[in-house]
Amino acid sequence: MTRGHRRFHRLLWPALALVVALGFTMALVLRPPTEPPEQSEPGK
Amino acid sequence: MSVGFQAVQWNRKKRVYDAILIAAVALFIGAFMTIGALRNPPADMPAWINLRIKAFGTCAFVMLTIILMIGPLARLDRRFLALLYNRRHFGVLTFLVALVHAWSVADWFLVQGAVGDLIAEMTGSPNYGKFIGFPIKALGITGFTIMFLLAATSHDFWLAFLGPRVWKALHMALYLAYGVLVMHVALGVMQEDRRAFIPLLLGGSFLAVTLLHLAAAWRERDVAHAATANWIVVGAPESIPDQAARIVAAPNGERIAVFRDGTQIGALTNVCAHQNGPIGEGRIINGCVTCPWHGYEYRLEDGCAPPPFTEKLATYRVRLRDGVIEVDPRALPPGTKAAMRLPSVG
Repeated sequence: MTRGHRRFHRLLWPALALVVALGFTMALVLRPPTEPPEQSEPGK
Repeated sequence: MSVGFQAVQWNRKKRVYDAILIAAVALFIGAFMTIGALRNPPADMPAWINLRIKAFGTCAFVMLTIILMIGPLARLDRRFLALLYNRRHFGVLTFLVALVHAWSVADWFLVQGAVGDLIAEMTGSPNYGKFIGFPIKALGITGFTIMFLLAATSHDFWLAFLGPRVWKALHMALYLAYGVLVMHVALGVMQEDRRAFIPLLLGGSFLAVTLLHLAAAWRERDVAHAATANWIVVGAPESIPDQAARIVAAPNGERIAVFRDGTQIGALTNVCAHQNGPIGEGRIINGCVTCPWHGYEYRLEDGCAPPPFTEKLATYRVRLRDGVIEVDPRALPPGTKAAMRLPSVG
């Protein structure tokens, strides 16, 4: 890895990790209550 | 290494690596489908396709998580270098598994004659302004498109065409794909299925990737602190492991790999000419400094690859002063002889 890559890498992943951690936490907290089971769309 | 063109440069190690990889993927998907079908027998074709979607999607996500863990793991423990050696094949296989997942989603709509619903969801959905309810297929397509770009440019032809710097920078987009795909799962299946293991596995995978990167970065701090003015102190000759290197940092942040081969000491840039791999984490094998990533070889005395190969690395001057090896952080032109020989070591 060159110096430029290392700097980019060090900036990229902590920022991305923070955003994703925040998004994941919000998605977990804001999960809607369970509904009665029915034929659902594909999950992913 | 750089002579002639081959679609894929196979060898026995790569075949074994790929065979184990394919067997593990088949086992994972087979087990997922079998257990899923036994626990909740699919009643019709869409239900079977839904099971396939989940099996291949989960497998692709697990593979992506492992790929992102290999780099820091190899930096922390050399035994994981074996996984790093053929990581590109791992990445391409991950893309193929994700391709089956994506095709299965389209298939789910096709068998029910509901392609219009899929298009409407993707194009005119008012849910793009929401957080919970955001069209997760858009996130999936974004992650998948990045994976496609990386898989399509994984061959050495693209590495040579784009150059190692651009190629490496492009392939760092895998982090972006991973972030998008974590949210694809968090806003998708994690919202539908309330079982605790889903957030635990998703959060645990993400946490593992993050912690490993933090641990690897923490270890690198020691190297960064070694930089001083002018000549850099490396240490006593015997402190450099025989047929291996110590990595030091120049004041400008560039890494220098100082190798010892018996009584010969030489310093090379830590950046391999092939894929910018960390040369200093490699070893001297058959008299040549060998990159731990893909086995590219260089002579210690001048940083040149042995004939017929033509790659060259920048070298650095080294000297012995008061029993301590020092390295001049000003790089010499690639291929310049700069190694020195000591009367004895230790």
